[in-house]
Amino acid sequence: MKNAGATVEEKIDSASNGWQGPTGRRTDEWSECLTQIAATGDRAAFTRFFRHFAPLIKAFALSGSSLSAAHADELVQEVMLKAWQKASAFNPEKAAASTWVYTIARNCRTDMFRRLQKFDTPLAADDFMPDQEPSEPFAMLQSRRSRDTIHELMGTLPPDQTQILAKVYMEGKSHAEAAAELDLPLGTVKSRVRLAIQKLQIQIDR
Amino acid sequence: MAKFHPSVDLLTEYVAGILPLAQSACISAHLNYCPQCQQQSARLQDLGAVLFESLTPVPVGDALLNTVLARLDEEPPLSYRRAQDPAVGRLPALLQRLMKGDFSELSWNKITSSLSISYLKTGDTAYEFALYHIKAGGRIPEHTHRGSEMTLVLQGGFSDAAGSYHEGDFLFREASDTHAPTALQSEDCICLAVLDAPLRFTGWKYRWMNPFLQLRAG
Repeated sequence: MKNAGATVEEKIDSASNGWQGPTGRRTDEWSECLTQIAATGDRAAFTRFFRHFAPLIKAFALSGSSLSAAHADELVQEVMLKAWQKASAFNPEKAAASTWVYTIARNCRTDMFRRLQKFDTPLAADDFMPDQEPSEPFAMLQSRRSRDTIHELMGTLPPDQTQILAKVYMEGKSHAEAAAELDLPLGTVKSRVRLAIQKLQIQIDR
Repeated sequence: MAKFHPSVDLLTEYVAGILPLAQSACISAHLNYCPQCQQQSARLQDLGAVLFESLTPVPVGDALLNTVLARLDEEPPLSYRRAQDPAVGRLPALLQRLMKGDFSELSWNKITSSLSISYLKTGDTAYEFALYHIKAGGRIPEHTHRGSEMTLVLQGGFSDAAGSYHEGDFLFREASDTHAPTALQSEDCICLAVLDAPLRFTGWKYRWMNPFLQLRAG
């Protein structure tokens, strides 16, 4: 029963920072759940996964109120089905399950918008992903730290910056649209985004 | 390694999925040349995930869960596999898909003795998405834009009054900047240019062509 003890320790560690061990393998609940879905096609695990993420995806679909309730449900269905079908492509060393699901939700929402606007394009949102993901251990370590840091620092942002980030990321508004809606100059919106990114320590030297 | 990059707020809009399709395609192509911007985008994506997780959940009924469970045995769409095809050669896979062949197989419109343009179809009806072929040492006549212009160097390089640009470099100009890019002497230059208004030649020698330079969006 040695292993059971180690698992408990891992769980404790994962509760504190979501990361465990020198291999850097993610041990948060949903990454483990997704790994299990990929390995065994476990429908009970998928049901748990669905109950956690589907309400977030629905919230994401409805923010900005640009999609109807019916389209929001359609998006939930599409994203969850895609998560099931692509689960084997999930690499817990590269991303957390929530980042992975967010990316699928974002891509499906973009495609849905384009479908609704009757865009005739040979490209799907997935085609815009870079051909190769960064795989150097250093980059991956940085990515892990960046998520933990963002979590910690999010609460320290002034409300006007959090508001703009939510408009851009969740409501899918461009900086120009956010500026028009909040009756602010475009420059103010851009500088709030930049300030937030600096404060969250995710700006890198390029 | 690319030296000229999209600004962080442009990358934020890209990552949030709100840039127009043609501009998005240009930034995506730049990321294939630029590990730093890829890393920057990855962090901006982490930010998106944190915001996503902090949304107030909206209840989803069991009916929807059952619908999804009933569909789990469906065959995944073919496109899920296509998305994982590795790129052939150095050009970003996304561009190769739009080009359906290599540079020599495209149809090129000759604009001046040193400039030819090939228009690619993205489906974005507000932006022209085109490849510019400038002969080695050739010059694009001085011009301005009424809208914005994104440029990505795909092969060779060019220079203008502000600097010189090489493979993978990304430039974004807002309306009314005037410039006259010249290809480097060593080889022909091929750039991707994304415009929302046609370019306007400013020199007397080429100004007569302006009425013929319609935006070829789509």
